[in-house]
Amino acid sequence: MIVAQRKPFEEIKDMLKVYKKVLNVGCGTCVAVCLAGGEKEVDVLNAELDMARKLEENPIEMGAITVERQCDREYLETLDSIVEEYDAILSMACGVGVQFLAERFPHKPVFPAVDTSGLAVNQAVGWYEERCRSCNQCVLGMTAGICPVTMCAKGLYNGPCGGTNKGNCEISKDQPCAWHMIYERLAAQDRLDNIIAFYPAVGWKDQTPRTLIQPGYKTEDSAPEN
Amino acid sequence: MRLDYPVNIKIILVPCTGKVDVLHLLRAIQKGADGAYVVGCLEGACHYNEGNLRARERVEHVSRLLEEIGLEGDRVRMYNLSSGEGPTFAAYAKEMTEHIQKLGPNPLKKWAE
Amino acid sequence: MNEINKGLDDRRATYIEYAQAVPLAYAIDLDVCLGCGLCENVCLAKAVKYDDKERESEIRVGSVILSPGTKGYDPSGLVTYGYGLYPNVVTSEGFERILSAGGPYYGHVMRPLDRQEPKSIAWLQCVGSRDTNRCGNGYCSSVCCMYAVKEAMIAKEHIHGELDAVIFNMDMRTFGKDYEKYFLRARDKEGVRFVKSRVHTVSEIPASGDLSIQYVDESGDMKEEIFSMVVLSVGLTIPDSAVALARRLNIELNPYDFADTRPFEPVTTSRPGIYTCGVFQGPKDIPGAVTEASAAACLAGGDLAEARGSEIQAIEIPREKDVSQEDPRIGVFVCNCGINIGGIVDVPAVQTYAAKLPQVVFTDSNLFTCSQDTQEKIREKINEHDLNRVVVASCSPKTHAPMFMETLEACGLNKYLFEMANIRNQNSWIHSKSPDLATQKAKDLVRMAVARAAVLRPLKEKVIPVNHRALIIGGGIAGLNAALALGRQQFEVCLVEKETVLGGLSLKLHHTIEGEDIRVYIEKLIAEVRADDKIEIVTDAEIAGFGGYKGNFETELRVGPGQEKRIIKHGVIIVATGAIEYDPKEYFYGQDDRVITQIDLSNRLEEKGASDLDSVAMIQCIGSRNEEYPECSRICCQNAVKNAIHIKKLNPDTQVYVLYRDIRTYGFLEDYYREAREKGVIFLRFNQDSPPDVECLPDGVTISVIDHVLQRPIAIRADLLTLSAGIRAADTNELSGIMKLNRNPEGYFMEAHVKLRPVDMPGEGIFLCGTAHGPKLISETISQAQAAASRATTFLAKPEIKLSAITAKVDTDNCVKCLTCVRSCPFEVPAFNQNTKLIEIDEALCHGCGVCTGVCPREAIQLSFYEDDQIMCKIDALMAGGM
Repeated sequence: MIVAQRKPFEEIKDMLKVYKKVLNVGCGTCVAVCLAGGEKEVDVLNAELDMARKLEENPIEMGAITVERQCDREYLETLDSIVEEYDAILSMACGVGVQFLAERFPHKPVFPAVDTSGLAVNQAVGWYEERCRSCNQCVLGMTAGICPVTMCAKGLYNGPCGGTNKGNCEISKDQPCAWHMIYERLAAQDRLDNIIAFYPAVGWKDQTPRTLIQPGYKTEDSAPEN
Repeated sequence: MRLDYPVNIKIILVPCTGKVDVLHLLRAIQKGADGAYVVGCLEGACHYNEGNLRARERVEHVSRLLEEIGLEGDRVRMYNLSSGEGPTFAAYAKEMTEHIQKLGPNPLKKWAE
Repeated sequence: MNEINKGLDDRRATYIEYAQAVPLAYAIDLDVCLGCGLCENVCLAKAVKYDDKERESEIRVGSVILSPGTKGYDPSGLVTYGYGLYPNVVTSEGFERILSAGGPYYGHVMRPLDRQEPKSIAWLQCVGSRDTNRCGNGYCSSVCCMYAVKEAMIAKEHIHGELDAVIFNMDMRTFGKDYEKYFLRARDKEGVRFVKSRVHTVSEIPASGDLSIQYVDESGDMKEEIFSMVVLSVGLTIPDSAVALARRLNIELNPYDFADTRPFEPVTTSRPGIYTCGVFQGPKDIPGAVTEASAAACLAGGDLAEARGSEIQAIEIPREKDVSQEDPRIGVFVCNCGINIGGIVDVPAVQTYAAKLPQVVFTDSNLFTCSQDTQEKIREKINEHDLNRVVVASCSPKTHAPMFMETLEACGLNKYLFEMANIRNQNSWIHSKSPDLATQKAKDLVRMAVARAAVLRPLKEKVIPVNHRALIIGGGIAGLNAALALGRQQFEVCLVEKETVLGGLSLKLHHTIEGEDIRVYIEKLIAEVRADDKIEIVTDAEIAGFGGYKGNFETELRVGPGQEKRIIKHGVIIVATGAIEYDPKEYFYGQDDRVITQIDLSNRLEEKGASDLDSVAMIQCIGSRNEEYPECSRICCQNAVKNAIHIKKLNPDTQVYVLYRDIRTYGFLEDYYREAREKGVIFLRFNQDSPPDVECLPDGVTISVIDHVLQRPIAIRADLLTLSAGIRAADTNELSGIMKLNRNPEGYFMEAHVKLRPVDMPGEGIFLCGTAHGPKLISETISQAQAAASRATTFLAKPEIKLSAITAKVDTDNCVKCLTCVRSCPFEVPAFNQNTKLIEIDEALCHGCGVCTGVCPREAIQLSFYEDDQIMCKIDALMAGGM
């Protein structure tokens, strides 16, 4: 799941300082699940902004709505009839949602209220750990289910660097070395031969915005119109 | 026991302090209350196991939010006591009132309709 | 003089005894009443009757339960302690009041003489207990050690700064569940000092009011210490009135005036149909008393089982009106509460104010809104004005809401369309000095209540049927007694035992300390259970699966060598999985066959007697009260005393040595401890940090231990070394996992509340008894089993259960199944249903605390009757008045 955390309040307040009437749009899927941008967080942020602006003798009117997902155009339709009332839009969705909102309402300033941190597992209430950087080139089959792009500080594909230190990464003794973990787990599974295989590094130069087309559902010619 | 406590204290009943929401406390301050405090059972003695612990976390969270927007964080507080402690209740009511009086009125009050 | 506060302050001639008194009503202290007539004149309810007389009435009943309670020992007769003479010597009862927020000093710890905070306090244990010499009370009062530790801890907490708290004791008897841990915390963490000495004399230092205590320490040296205060830990005695009552009822008392009961019938008096419980049965703590109360109710109810359901009047409730489509029409009833409210608050002004509030269509004020004729009036007004919401501005919803809600129901109005404003307890009573402000606050409170009333919704209390069958897990003394008790109450029982035979640990035992034959008892008990056709016995069975909720459980069993699957449907569960003897790793047990446990010893005495034994030594606290297992096993001391006396009876020439740390023969067991000493059993105390050394030599086992009085090691040669091995909970790892039952770190199941609900488990419809709950005697196991059956009966006796309507509900349309509620609920109620693929909250399991509503990121959970808008509107209404 995509996880995000709310931006520092000052930053949000600063972005909105010239606007008098702002619609805060929550997103009911990933960021709701990670407790950053559902109905509840929209209401909390609006209450804060309302109070902060009154304290500055510059009141702001905050609208609140949470859509199912900001990354699906059908769910954004409900906003069409109301955004005109507002000077600007604040989005509590991930970076994808913010951009999609901005695309749909190109004449309205759209601001992000959260920082999108990545793809993470939910270990406990409010506790998330990143596991994937969406590199589009998955090698988990060879690395015993441990991602070297995410879990290795350098994102190395072919074994550890010289900084590996008794199972830990040189950046911190609390950060395990991904390649040490990969070695241990492959060894336990008797699949150490995998570690010999050579993998070309990620082609970061090819990391332009990707379009994904699920075969069987869509072809390139049937691209949706914005 | 009919112990005197300040008249400015008004009580809202909830089944357990675990029901008290961040939004409830924010609303009180937003609407101009000078302070808001949650009175729960003693820690370890919650009838619902841990409602009062959740309440404390939420009060502390609201406290941080108030600091963020430039208000005093301790306009919201959490107190714990057992149901047999009338005098303690009155003492906390007094303490909270005196504490809030020191902070002065909520500057948002003039904005409340 | 205020009796409740032990004379430490005064009270008026008209008084409420104490804040929690039931009924919470005034009384007149005739000893000091002048008869001025003022209170009669001012009482608007005409409740004061000076010429009121005692009336005799006759009630025909089928059973009687005697619970006349206890009276703290009055130490005035023990003149050497100076109670009543030196102001700073108080009883433990008096000190409880000093600690209490509702006490004479409002919870500030002060000494009576000069109201100074004490710097040091000494507690003297066993005042009026364990004393055949000065007061004749030979028994141990069982509770004083624990309350002294508690008082010392609370005193230290209340006094800011240092308090030297010292407890002078002969033995610290913290034998209850989790009590030893509390004692250790007091000693090791909080610095409470424990001195092994019985203090004889307290003398006052007149200049300061301080008290000097001279005592002999363990090595026999005379010591003197000065304290600011002395607390006499007085024992439990039976009041004369209870003795007189017992005489009138013709029931037998023991030599100490407690009700005489037998070990296998712990709450049955000598007269059939009369039962007893609490301290009148024997000295005990609160959980013990609560347990026995349920046990007595069980037996009393068992005698009356056939009459259940008779002589009941059913209340007819009219069909509920559907008001969901109507706009709110609110009626406000403002109460004067005699002069309680009306004397301070301007009630007419509040009524006029209420009439102007939105959606209010009717207002009224009453002298006493709670009176019967006012209910009639409210009903009339609801019908006349077609009210669909009612607000009563009066007193506490805690005491009065249920009654007003019934009045609504009687008009066909859903009872949840009701709200109260507490303008008495939260207003007129406390702001009596500022009537104007109180009137303003009453208006505020009424405005808030009206706002909430407008957004209340009718709620349905779901009714679920109850399966009238109990599942009892465990076929030892506890399970068998619970089964028998439920059978007598006419309920069906399925008794599940994992072994192939019934009886549990008791099969290894012979006699109780009183000399009762356990084998005969257990055979008779099993025969009675087998003869009861309501009880089905399933042996060689284990629990493999579990589901459902109170009143409707479903348990899967695996039965017999073939592990046949069987499903049992039942309404309640009684957990009675029992305990086992600890298997010692200490002192060559299992390596040298002269080292045995107490169970082995009693077997040996039954089989071979003691004629060949010159000397037997016993070591206490094996596998108990140590670092690995801090708890006391409660019954080992009496076990040792029992076997020691048995040996002495078989062969008075056998030397018996008991090496102990504290002898914990509580209650009447103390008599046997004394008997053992009189018979020549030698008790030697050792310190935990210098335990005995044991050598197994060809001519006997040699035990070396440091004697406190001699202050040098002594060696004992024994033919047998008996280890008083502690008690361990039976292995219930799997069971607790399957049934989601919580256990403490020692593996004993946890009760819903250690003091007040000792046989209920946290999950509703699940009860607990016997050693599965903690180590205990057979008599205690039996009463707890009967108590569990009694608590189960309260469920089984109902044809159906009405569930609380105040539960959390998920708006599944908005739910993103984030699991936050699942992970936050203190009772693990919300769950992802694999079939519906939805997060569901089972209203039969929800406790209604609202924790889940506060964490839901999509605001998709609401707690009925406390929905967010029903709380927010009160905040808004309050603030709309401008504070």
